[in-house]
Amino acid sequence: MTLHKNHFSMSVIAASFLGPSLTPSEDVPWREENLPLDCDDLVQKVLGQPMRRAGRFIKLVCSGAAACLQKAPAGLLAGKKTGIFLATGLGNGDEILPFITQVFLHDGGFPRPNQFANSVSNAAAFFLARQCDIKGVILTLSDEELSFESALWLAESYLAAGDIDLALVGGCDVYTPTVDEYRDRMNAHADNARALPIGEGSSWLLLGPAGMDGPGEIFAVEIGSDAVGPDACVRSASFADKLAGLLENAAGPLAGRAQNRMLLPGFRVRDAREAAGGPGLLALYDYLPHCGIHPTAAAFGLARALTQAPSSVLFHFNCSASGKPALVAAATK
Amino acid sequence: MTDADVHIRGWGAVTTLGWSARESARRLLVGHVPPAAVCSSSHLINSDFKAFEVPFAGDPLAKSLAMLDAAIGEAFERARLTPAEIAESALLVGTTGGLFIRNEFDFTDSVRRNPGEASPSISCRNRGPGEVTQFIAEKFGIRGMTFTLSMACVSSSHALVVALRLLGRQKIRRAVVVGFEPLLNMTLHGFASLLLYDADRCRPFCSTRSGMQIGESAACVVLEAGGPTPAEGQRYTLQGGYLFNDNSSLTSAGTDGEMVKTVVAEALADAGILTRDIVAVKAHGTGTRDNDLSEGRGLAKVFGAQMPPVVSLKGAIGHGLGAAGAVETALWLSCLEEGEMPRTFGFSEIDPEIGFAPLVENRPAPAGAYLFTFFGFGGTCTSYVINKE
Repeated sequence: MTLHKNHFSMSVIAASFLGPSLTPSEDVPWREENLPLDCDDLVQKVLGQPMRRAGRFIKLVCSGAAACLQKAPAGLLAGKKTGIFLATGLGNGDEILPFITQVFLHDGGFPRPNQFANSVSNAAAFFLARQCDIKGVILTLSDEELSFESALWLAESYLAAGDIDLALVGGCDVYTPTVDEYRDRMNAHADNARALPIGEGSSWLLLGPAGMDGPGEIFAVEIGSDAVGPDACVRSASFADKLAGLLENAAGPLAGRAQNRMLLPGFRVRDAREAAGGPGLLALYDYLPHCGIHPTAAAFGLARALTQAPSSVLFHFNCSASGKPALVAAATK
Repeated sequence: MTDADVHIRGWGAVTTLGWSARESARRLLVGHVPPAAVCSSSHLINSDFKAFEVPFAGDPLAKSLAMLDAAIGEAFERARLTPAEIAESALLVGTTGGLFIRNEFDFTDSVRRNPGEASPSISCRNRGPGEVTQFIAEKFGIRGMTFTLSMACVSSSHALVVALRLLGRQKIRRAVVVGFEPLLNMTLHGFASLLLYDADRCRPFCSTRSGMQIGESAACVVLEAGGPTPAEGQRYTLQGGYLFNDNSSLTSAGTDGEMVKTVVAEALADAGILTRDIVAVKAHGTGTRDNDLSEGRGLAKVFGAQMPPVVSLKGAIGHGLGAAGAVETALWLSCLEEGEMPRTFGFSEIDPEIGFAPLVENRPAPAGAYLFTFFGFGGTCTSYVINKE
């Protein structure tokens, strides 16, 4: 497959994962039928103050990113050019739906101004930037189920060029009723996605150039251009060759860690166990049951593995619904 | 300076003035510019809001997709892209609404087809802003990297600067940058709720201005690092650019003009040129009190007494929101191809707080550097320089 490769190694300085249970960086049981949970306690706990006028998307973006930054060394951002790359497949639908409902039900009446302001697509990134006092490159990116991988690729490009010193890269999607509509919006059905509950999350990585302290590094982000089926792709010999090639290229930084190699399958890979047992012979790191299917679940999976799977090499793989593949390679210390 | 020259290989646009950038430019330059009017599109529920509508016989969803087709088709034709070149291109789309038009059309169509019945619940079936990007990629056979920038009014102007960076660093070979924004109840009512909508007309930089008016549009700009000289017309280079996001205010760029000054200065520095090199400014010029004051003061700080001609296109085509960057760039380039800079529609008297009048008569467009500025919700700013060789 033709590849758009970024092989500039990035240090993962801090990582935090937040799934539908709304407990940062912890695995707590949750149930699809109870979604969405109230996130005000999370906001108070993580941010130390409420966000009364914001909807769940803004609250989860800010809480998830804050949970990540709280794991970074104090004062690290001071004086540094930090970019924010907020990836979201569905955006702030939880703000848009009540707003448009108000517009239609009132037959042309005036919805509340802050309802519209919060429904604007980059409002969450603005509030996050203000919370962290970050100015400069702040991008809200959306590419359906490959949103997080695309954001990582772009962040890597900006870091490699020296346009920024640090990158705060996260993926956030929030559940909006109903389950069937949510599945429709994700284009996640029995014939193109794993049979798992739907979920939501806000998971973040603070990234810097190679050599910085932290739980690990990301050493490759590759997004292909050829439409291939995800299941066929991960079972193929060429996929195994690709992983071997990545390991070989990154041999220096991976010294001593190459024994524990894991596949993190995205939600388009329907048979995760079989995929891991393909020619590449990887251990399965199955994160999706912990966060459920949502467009930016890759952020959850990578952040969780980076913080919970020491001495490992991690390969996250997913495809778009049309078959476009995306691979992220990372390693933990 | 970026590492590699980035030239503009093609462009296209659909605006209220026409179904191509060329037609829109010609109408603009001869002054065939109807004012914003009450819209006829079947999904719009309130007739109080005047907007710049693209004329079309058919449903609004079909129109939106036809707009994309026409704008991208015009750009590809002008660029003379081969299928292989299209396939290897990266696609960057700037949009706020994406295909949300489908929800509004489905709902209003359902209500209309079932008179006397209770309205159905409003559902949201679009797959987020990235859906339109996948639609374009699949329809035109684009297989490179795809990015959807959903950044309010700077969505496609930011996309142009991101593309400039990626091309300059040779991360991608070619970029197809699309701006897309159909008319939506959501945005019309939203801006009205913020009291930012002028019920009469859009009057950029005018002392009587009282708000913006929305214009629907779709546009496409094809950028390439190095590459061949275009087969027809002039050669245009995207010489430098800068994007910045402030965190001081969700809705204002700061009326002291300092942020505007900084962003423009950075764009000029990136282009490697001085203020005296700027032939003209294609300003954002929304017609809102604060935006025009911020921008006017900022430009005055940058250029001082040597202010070049300043033009806002929004009095003629409305505010394209997320599409503004791509559509105003495409329309401006077609005006340059016609050899003229267009005048600003809607202006009548100088605002003493701004201190200058925008261009009110068409003027010949010489070779040289043209500055573009865009500002948006969330403290977002973009500025870039296009050089006509």
